[in-house]
Amino acid sequence: MIKNRPKVAIYDFTDCEGCEVKLISLREKLLALEKRLNIIDWRLGQEKKESGPFDLTIIEGTPITPDEVASLKKLRQESKILIGLGACACLGGIPAIMPQPDREKWYKRIYGEKYRPRGIDALPLTAYAEIDFLIHGCPVDGDEVVRVVEELLAGRKPQYRGYSVCFECKQANNPCRIIEGKPCLGPITQGGCGAVCVSGGSPCYGCFGLREEANIKGLTDILENLTDKKEIERYFSMFLSRTIKNE
Amino acid sequence: MNKNFIAKIEGHGNLTVDWDKDKVKLNIFEGERLFEGILVGRTAEEMHWITPRICGVCPVAHGMASLRAVEDALDIKVNETTRQLRDLMLCGQMIQSHALHLFFLSLPDYLGIDRGTELAQKNPAAFKQALALKEVSDEIVQVVGGRNVHPTTTAIGGFHKIPTKAQLKKLLKKLAETATAAQDTVKLCLSLDYPELKVDLKLAALVNDKIIAVSSNNISGRMESLVKNYKKDIEEDIRDYSTAKFGKYKGEETLVGALARLAIYGDHSYDDKLDFANPFYNNPAQAIEIKIYHHNAQAIVEKLLAGDLDSRIIPPSKDASLIGIGAVEAPRGGLYHEVQLDKDNIITEANIITPTVQNLTSIETSARALLEQNKGRSRKELERLLNMLVRAYDPCITCSVH
Repeated sequence: MIKNRPKVAIYDFTDCEGCEVKLISLREKLLALEKRLNIIDWRLGQEKKESGPFDLTIIEGTPITPDEVASLKKLRQESKILIGLGACACLGGIPAIMPQPDREKWYKRIYGEKYRPRGIDALPLTAYAEIDFLIHGCPVDGDEVVRVVEELLAGRKPQYRGYSVCFECKQANNPCRIIEGKPCLGPITQGGCGAVCVSGGSPCYGCFGLREEANIKGLTDILENLTDKKEIERYFSMFLSRTIKNE
Repeated sequence: MNKNFIAKIEGHGNLTVDWDKDKVKLNIFEGERLFEGILVGRTAEEMHWITPRICGVCPVAHGMASLRAVEDALDIKVNETTRQLRDLMLCGQMIQSHALHLFFLSLPDYLGIDRGTELAQKNPAAFKQALALKEVSDEIVQVVGGRNVHPTTTAIGGFHKIPTKAQLKKLLKKLAETATAAQDTVKLCLSLDYPELKVDLKLAALVNDKIIAVSSNNISGRMESLVKNYKKDIEEDIRDYSTAKFGKYKGEETLVGALARLAIYGDHSYDDKLDFANPFYNNPAQAIEIKIYHHNAQAIVEKLLAGDLDSRIIPPSKDASLIGIGAVEAPRGGLYHEVQLDKDNIITEANIITPTVQNLTSIETSARALLEQNKGRSRKELERLLNMLVRAYDPCITCSVH
């Protein structure tokens, strides 16, 4: 159970920091929220840095280097509640598109033969530690962050959305991409984003992670009628490469 | 393991100082994401979806560089509405990034606070300006791009969706309401005391298909080179203390970003208040740019409202070269994306040079100059100044380790 004005740490591993930008874009809401928190360690936001234990630790990014993996394990030990923020933390994110065995080839091509690489692989936090809740999205939705933190402050365990992106896509009055013959991962993806990508004219690539009881086989069968295997693979590897193995 | 990273910069870095030799190394710790490898095998249409994820502070700039590269490769000339909407979105991007950096990362150094939100107590008027600028810039990118971070409406040859005139009218109203916030931010930033520093650097910025460079000590003499030679002219080298490459423009330490742009294509109305040889002045330069891009955004929205909006997407040419370069002045300076496609529009080669890669080398040079020019100060004081200097550059380490 989280207490009043909990001690909070906000960490980021390798990523674009866009989810933290979404926190700052909360503006007045961030101000209201942080009054209820005691943020004692947040590298991007402040120089003040106290050591743990922490009541709540929020981690953005994927732990790519051994230092980051060690830091994650230490934070797990020091934190009552550990939460993943955004697709990199929750799914491995865009960096996870790179298959681990291909990394060596690309280190050489991008950095040259002499370079000594530091990264191991781009994996979600859950590959190394138990995580109490995942706030999905690339980037996260600011209001979803507020909802989850408020749930915790109220002493409740936050719940995942029990419906897919399709539900919110209907609410947004979007025509269905799949009915129009265009690939989309909305049916298997957890809601909470408000179908923002489809509303903008882009596909859903599944950055909110799989919904419960996602029918991957069913969707794959439908997609196979719309496009070729390679394109289906590209869709599934955008954010879900470390979630779905060899579907 | 628990390294002391420099706080309030984008990404993970710190300094190793050799106090006897006045030498400073900028260590970069970010994990390698290998974006140039990730892109190979993806479609041209996915490039501007993937590359914004290099940086959550300047995603619009990355998306735009990719679109320009792909459209160059496919020989697409976008229509006037698309061009204006993209320019508008880049104005929003500049204000978003500069306001975030100034109010939340950099200005706290000068205002005697730590976390940016403490400004709400310390200087409520300035904090109101910060929120107003953050709000209006987020709204520009939201209205045009569909989301304030990582746009959803952008497409090769145009937009999947363009805003309605009603949305643009609402945006214009908000721009009018926030004009004083932009002006007051300039006043605030020009009223602050910046540490003294004099560094001999190149300042470089993009002008159409050229890179223009001037000397920090004499901004009137201009050198120029062609963007298409960017890879030859911006040399990158590998350092064993960094996962980012370190760049030089034509063999010289170069500063890119707000201060360089004002030296090269500002209207010079603030030249007596800026010191182009002092990188700390990148901070007031960002404030001045907030005002400039705020003004530009208003002008573009007015133009869009005066004419008809053309939502057509331009298709690729049949005999396109399939090789293209896209260059953009991102908030932190010149950003270059290059792409090669096969006949099925699959990416076979990609190259990216970010502004911070160019700035990293000159940060070390400036840090060294700072130590040499402040002999009487204590180590603690010097460490504080060095961190302030790094922050003043507004480095985006996540960009630099793409």
